[in-house]
Amino acid sequence: MKKFHLLACLALVAAMTTSASAAKRAPQPGVTLKTSTADQHKLIELLRSNAAPAAKALACKQLALVGDAEAVPALAPLLGSSELAAWSRIALEVIPDTAADDALRGAMGQLQGRLLVGVINSLGVRRDTKAVDSLIARLKDPDADVASAAAVALGHIGTAPSIQALQTAVAAGPKQVRSAAAEGCILCAEAALAQHDAAQAIKLYDLVRGSDLPKTRIVEATRGAILARGSEGIPLLLEQLHSADKASYNLGLRVARELPGREVTDAVAAELPKAAGQRRGMLVMALADRGEARVLPIVLQAAGNGDEEVQILAIRALKRVGDASCAAALLDVVASGSEEVSKAALDVVGGLQGNGVDEQVVKRLAAAPDSSRATLLQLTGRRHIASALPLLWKAADDKNEAVRLAATTALGETADSAELPKLIARLVAAKSETEAASIQRAVAAVCLRTTDRETCTQRVAAALSSAKTSAEKDRILDILATVGGSKALEAVARAAKSSDAELCDSAYRVLGKWNTIDAAPVLLELHKATTVEKYKSRAIRAYIRMARQFTTIPEPQRAEMCRTAMAIAQHDEDKRLILEVCLRYPSNEMLALATEAMKVPGLKDEANVVVLSIARGKVGDATELRKALAQAGHNPVKLEIVKALFGAGANTKDVTTTLRRHAKNYRVIFLPSDNYNEAFGGDPAPGEVKKLTINYRVNGKSGEVSLSENATVVLPLPR
Amino acid sequence: MSELKRADRRHFLKSAMSAGAALAVPYFVPGRVLGKNGAVPPSEQIVMGAIGIGGRGTYVLGCFMEQNDVRFVANCDVREERRRGVKNRLAEKYGACEAYRDFRDLLARADIDAVLITTGSNWHTMLAITAAKAGKDMYCEKPCSKNITESIALADTMRRTARVFQGGMQRRSLPQFTFAAELAQQGKLGKLETVYAHPDGLTTKTSSWPQAEPEPPKEQVDWDMFLGTAAWRPYNSHLLSAEFEKGGGMMGGGCLEWGSHCIDLCQWAAKMDDTAPVEYFPIENGQATARYANGLKLVVRNDGWLPLGSCPVRYEGTTGWVETGDSGKLELSSPELLAGKKITEIANYPATFHVRNFLDCVKSRGLTRVNAQVACQSHIVCHAVNIAIFLNRKLSYDPVKNEFIGDDEANRLRGEALRDPWRF
Repeated sequence: MKKFHLLACLALVAAMTTSASAAKRAPQPGVTLKTSTADQHKLIELLRSNAAPAAKALACKQLALVGDAEAVPALAPLLGSSELAAWSRIALEVIPDTAADDALRGAMGQLQGRLLVGVINSLGVRRDTKAVDSLIARLKDPDADVASAAAVALGHIGTAPSIQALQTAVAAGPKQVRSAAAEGCILCAEAALAQHDAAQAIKLYDLVRGSDLPKTRIVEATRGAILARGSEGIPLLLEQLHSADKASYNLGLRVARELPGREVTDAVAAELPKAAGQRRGMLVMALADRGEARVLPIVLQAAGNGDEEVQILAIRALKRVGDASCAAALLDVVASGSEEVSKAALDVVGGLQGNGVDEQVVKRLAAAPDSSRATLLQLTGRRHIASALPLLWKAADDKNEAVRLAATTALGETADSAELPKLIARLVAAKSETEAASIQRAVAAVCLRTTDRETCTQRVAAALSSAKTSAEKDRILDILATVGGSKALEAVARAAKSSDAELCDSAYRVLGKWNTIDAAPVLLELHKATTVEKYKSRAIRAYIRMARQFTTIPEPQRAEMCRTAMAIAQHDEDKRLILEVCLRYPSNEMLALATEAMKVPGLKDEANVVVLSIARGKVGDATELRKALAQAGHNPVKLEIVKALFGAGANTKDVTTTLRRHAKNYRVIFLPSDNYNEAFGGDPAPGEVKKLTINYRVNGKSGEVSLSENATVVLPLPR
Repeated sequence: MSELKRADRRHFLKSAMSAGAALAVPYFVPGRVLGKNGAVPPSEQIVMGAIGIGGRGTYVLGCFMEQNDVRFVANCDVREERRRGVKNRLAEKYGACEAYRDFRDLLARADIDAVLITTGSNWHTMLAITAAKAGKDMYCEKPCSKNITESIALADTMRRTARVFQGGMQRRSLPQFTFAAELAQQGKLGKLETVYAHPDGLTTKTSSWPQAEPEPPKEQVDWDMFLGTAAWRPYNSHLLSAEFEKGGGMMGGGCLEWGSHCIDLCQWAAKMDDTAPVEYFPIENGQATARYANGLKLVVRNDGWLPLGSCPVRYEGTTGWVETGDSGKLELSSPELLAGKKITEIANYPATFHVRNFLDCVKSRGLTRVNAQVACQSHIVCHAVNIAIFLNRKLSYDPVKNEFIGDDEANRLRGEALRDPWRF
């Protein structure tokens, strides 16, 4: 029994319990608001009362839904409260009445600092044109945060006076406000463009990009300036693409994708011969992203020759934009490129859509020299080209093993069930282990792809009777296990009952790794039927494995499987495996099963741990834990931790306080981590084997225990 | 939203969708740019900062640290204990790491190209937007937004700043979900009629006001920064680890938490990455539903998992169906839908491929699989479903204007004021 495994699981269960408890203690993330049924008058009354801030905050939230002009006088005074100002603005920002604007505007003259910034921000959100004069005045506020807020708010409002003021601020305003003023200008430019006023937008963008501003603002304005100009923005776009400055160059690459128009594509394409190395590759990618069919020849040309890095980037771009017209050129690259380039091209041709691609691949395969046959065979398989089957069969007999292997793999990806007998027959004729393994995979692949899997597995199973060597039988059974299904299972079960010892062994081997739960009753039947001890053990272990590893089976079914296994298992070793399943999938049924197992002398220790673990996992259920502890032989005691030391040699630390904190009225102590170093706040003796020594008293009697590192803390009853 | 802006959005997304259809092979940097023994020269490395690394963040950070063209130089957390722990982890691998309490100090560093954002979801949108404005690319965990307004602000900002954004919906980078989506997209299931998402929970709630506890020193826990854009409430230690503001102090529940994955997958399969359903229905018989303009039905079930693992989706067309989940396995109406293909089974939804896609796009400046526009639309659907459940009535939605039609209450729930001094 892997006791350490059980203990690790125990600690995991404990850790999960801890975090679940913590989540339980945390406050609920929210409350549910009333909607249209909320009484506005009561909410207003509450805001005017001496109610606690919490109640007022919630009232503001409700008024955000149902408040109107009537609520504004009650909300406005809160704008001066550092605790409730934002709550008040939550309502004021959305109340569809000019009274809310009046209140926010009125508050501007009374507030300063952050609260004033908040109010200005809300005026911007509401686009209050009546606030423009006050906001323009605030552009000169000595508090740069206030002035910046005013600039952005003016940008949102965007009236002619706002724009004028922002332009002035960008050109000649205080330096710390210029960036926000530029942001305001860019917002106004966007609005102008949306209103089809490109001239105004260009004017604003150009002003910003020509001013003394942080680079980020310049980049934003340059983008806008290019896009607003349309095709006339091409020179400015090219300027960015030529730039040695990283931010400008990056902007160029982005806008080269964004700016629409054939002439833009032409201009960017014309840059290709001038660009070198990675910059050329980046341009190819940008061109490909423009999504125009006519860029294909350009990308293809880059994919075909030149700098290898550019070639690869271009080929990858074709994965997104390529079509059947690219097939010939890419096949040339497959044949002639370096290993890296050829591989990239192969990947793209493998997924190319459109007519004619398959025909071209087959034509090339038929005439391929030895050097490229394996690659083309691989491609044929990836594309599942049925018309290439004669060529594939021929290549499967080639004198070159690499070609034979590639052909076999391709057959697996291409052949249908009718070809299966022919493929199975090759298992016998395989020239090497490698080839036999390849054929095995190919047969399984055909079975898995077909819509009539059961017919296929019948054909594979039929081959079992004619298989001569144990290796052949092994391979056929492995195929059946990989493919699965009822016919495969029947065939393997028959083999398990065979008088052929080797076949029988192989059958039990594959049943031990069967992938579907339908093998469970078969294993029970085999366990019952066989008189051979080793097969009985293998059958029950395979059965228990299913209960352990199949996570999706319903819990009652799993518990029933464990109960059945416990009843028929003959060895404690097997029963311990069942206990491990109980631990992994805790439930009341599993708890009951483990509790019963405690009566078996050889299982008592492990069953004990499982019972405690499951009980511990019942979050917050102290009654359940006490019950389980009692069942496990742990009755409540009066426990005192006298002293506890953790470490090795002279390097020990006193962990008495920590241990006391976790000790309850039982002789089992659950620590918050299965790792003593973590539970006790650090490693007192790195690299050394440590012990935890505890002096304690149980019901007044003194005891001492020394535990190996990370063991479950169980205190023996003092004598 | 204006028509012109809408058209601009559509054009932008066209590239994203083409990238999405080619998931099997992401952009990548060929091995030859790597130095000897796979080491990447500093000039080719992406310098990163990690923000808000908790439970999920620890895992995602690990996925990034597996990549040899990434170097973390900084981390940030409002909690001193985590700040120190992550700093030590990063310093051990990269030699040095600076830890910050305020993310704005991290974003101010010119040497940082990109950030990993795995804070509580209350912060995701604001952090992503602030990072973009500071010129950083970002991988941002989901849920990416708290409401419809935030979703739109996120997409607009990423477009405006030309930053690379990857939402943490990593299932778009996994083979079984890709194959299922492609079957639907390529018409292999016939005309698509119903898509199913299983977010395991459809409860909607609003934020609470916890019991006050003594506030620790700012250096230990910066409560003000923890609250971020959320309206003020007193310090409570449990909120640090509980699901705080999952729904942005307005709405929440499973639909957003897991819907940002499985509803996102449905949007993708249905080729609806640039729009959202036009009608939403409250829960009936354990499931909420929505209908797209073309008649396609989205079913959001609340009755547990199918046997294919967590986060399952099912796509039904006139001639066939496909179903898959986190087990990595696929169920099909006919094995012929496989067309001989063998789909690699990858269980337990690893994020490695998704992380790689992000890093490749940081270099190429292409669109990630879950770019901001994709994330925006998926989250809008989640929020709209939540609002219909919350109000318990049918809602009509205009996905161009991003407005509920004729329902003032629903429209009020599209966004929420941000606490000072935060703004989009």
